Amino acid sequence: MLKKLKSAERLFLLIKKQFPLNVSSVSKGKIFNEMQRLVNDDPESWLSAISIWKNLLELDAKEDKLSQRDANPLKRKVEENDIINPKKLKTKQMQELQESRECQLEKQTDEATVEQGDFLTNREKSQEAFQNDAVKAVAAPNQKDLTFRVSCRCSGSVAKTFTAQEVGRVIGIALMKQFGWKADLRNPNLEIFIHLNDIYSVVGIPVFRVPLASRAYIKTAGLRSTIAWAMASLAEIKAGAFVLDPMCGLGTILLEAAKEWPDVYYVGADVSDSQLLGACDNLKAAGLQDKIELLKVSVIELPLPSESVDIIISDIPFGKKFKLGKDIKNILQEMERVLRVGGTIVLLLSEDHHRRLQDCERGGIPWNSKGSHTDEPGIEKCLNPGEKTDLSDTVSSSAETSGQGDLDKMPPFGSLVPVDRYGVSLGRTGAFICRYRKSPSSAASRLAAVSRFQSSQGSCTALKAVVSGSR
Amino acid sequence: MKLLTHNLLSSHVRGVGPRGFPLRLQATEVRINPVEFNPDFVARMIPKLHLVEVPKGPIEGYEHDEKFLRQMHHVLLEVDVLEGTLQCPESGRLFPISRGIPNMLLSDEETET
Repeated sequence: MLKKLKSAERLFLLIKKQFPLNVSSVSKGKIFNEMQRLVNDDPESWLSAISIWKNLLELDAKEDKLSQRDANPLKRKVEENDIINPKKLKTKQMQELQESRECQLEKQTDEATVEQGDFLTNREKSQEAFQNDAVKAVAAPNQKDLTFRVSCRCSGSVAKTFTAQEVGRVIGIALMKQFGWKADLRNPNLEIFIHLNDIYSVVGIPVFRVPLASRAYIKTAGLRSTIAWAMASLAEIKAGAFVLDPMCGLGTILLEAAKEWPDVYYVGADVSDSQLLGACDNLKAAGLQDKIELLKVSVIELPLPSESVDIIISDIPFGKKFKLGKDIKNILQEMERVLRVGGTIVLLLSEDHHRRLQDCERGGIPWNSKGSHTDEPGIEKCLNPGEKTDLSDTVSSSAETSGQGDLDKMPPFGSLVPVDRYGVSLGRTGAFICRYRKSPSSAASRLAAVSRFQSSQGSCTALKAVVSGSR
Repeated sequence: MKLLTHNLLSSHVRGVGPRGFPLRLQATEVRINPVEFNPDFVARMIPKLHLVEVPKGPIEGYEHDEKFLRQMHHVLLEVDVLEGTLQCPESGRLFPISRGIPNMLLSDEETET
């Protein structure tokens, strides 16, 4: 159930969260004592967290067996969790997708499947509830037999005074003394994460051995699965949609999307044979080969009629690693052409690409300019999308002669209106997820602008006749 | 390549425009895959198709005509062309299909400006 949290990298049970350790004027020994207190001050919170962890793992194992059964109450709770997390992501934590995430879990489980009370990682749990859990913990394998490993991350002023290994050792020894556990660096039962920085000191245990981001259904990951899922969810995929990823690579985005939104027609395209082969493998391994079609085509020449695609989601290859033959403008142009009006585009852009597009936006340079036929695409759309008729040539040339100065200040992305953008971290680098929608109005507004110009030239009637005649 | 995909592709050879549809399909290896029938999904795909031939009988109410939907489901989703060619009806350019993936990359001369 917890594995349905698709845009979280990792999930932890919180044991402790408190103010950052003060390292400024105090001796090293005293700070070590502080660290030991993280373990020794409150051993109950450790034990209760561990029993919760055990229960969650058992629950997870049981769920895998019960997955066939109709467990409606559980599903409802899953939805709650799913709603909470995506909202958090959208409002403030998109940037933190990379960092290990500590979640405070509040769950209620269904009596039909597991008989347990509420879980709260909060220290103010009542003694009674604690006793309950402690009893169950005894029923499970004895806690004394636990092996553990401490993983420590230090940053900020703490990192200047201590190494992660030192801290890990101190905590490890304290744990051994307090609980009698044994350390095992290779294959421990329990991993303990400590994160010390200038903002907080946090201790937690990961709920699963393997990060959530590592998906069972993805054989070879390209893009991070969490980012791929986040992009797909921003795209507002609805049943019966035609979703295209014109630079799909190994197909990660389509896999995440098809897993979550299955009643949709997905097409992935790439120019590279090796990538397509990898994608094909991935599809088969995930059992999604019937949901996702693959094409060997170039993103700047899509063999699709104009306005035939509902949604485009793509990870634009970051310039240095991939040899991007054409400019990002050409790519966006072709995407815009095949997208239907009202359709959505979600792109992952490197900081470079993003900056380039922003310059276009601000400078009012029409990014879809083709030399002298600046607004030809716009007018084409009013007349007959996809068809290059003689009429459009006449119209655009007369628009040119009347002066393009004002027209250049029109929304430079043609009909693609930026909706929102989110900064995300990909580990070493940052990037932006940008969402655009294709609006119908700019075609009409361009037309209005052209008419305004033409009226002073006296060729307005001719232009209006051309336009109205073709509707 | 499913026939649904074939129906949505059009030729992008320079100068061809709307006359580049539909691509002529010649299949040398075809496989029939059973796919779970989802009437809703099929019903939603039908308006997207560029139907060259109108199916016999009335089209209105097709969403509820299970027999019709099942037929469309079979044709569009269960027929998989593994090897063959797609041909642009206007320019005659051939695009090969290999391992179920059509290769529609154009050379530089063939691309539209």
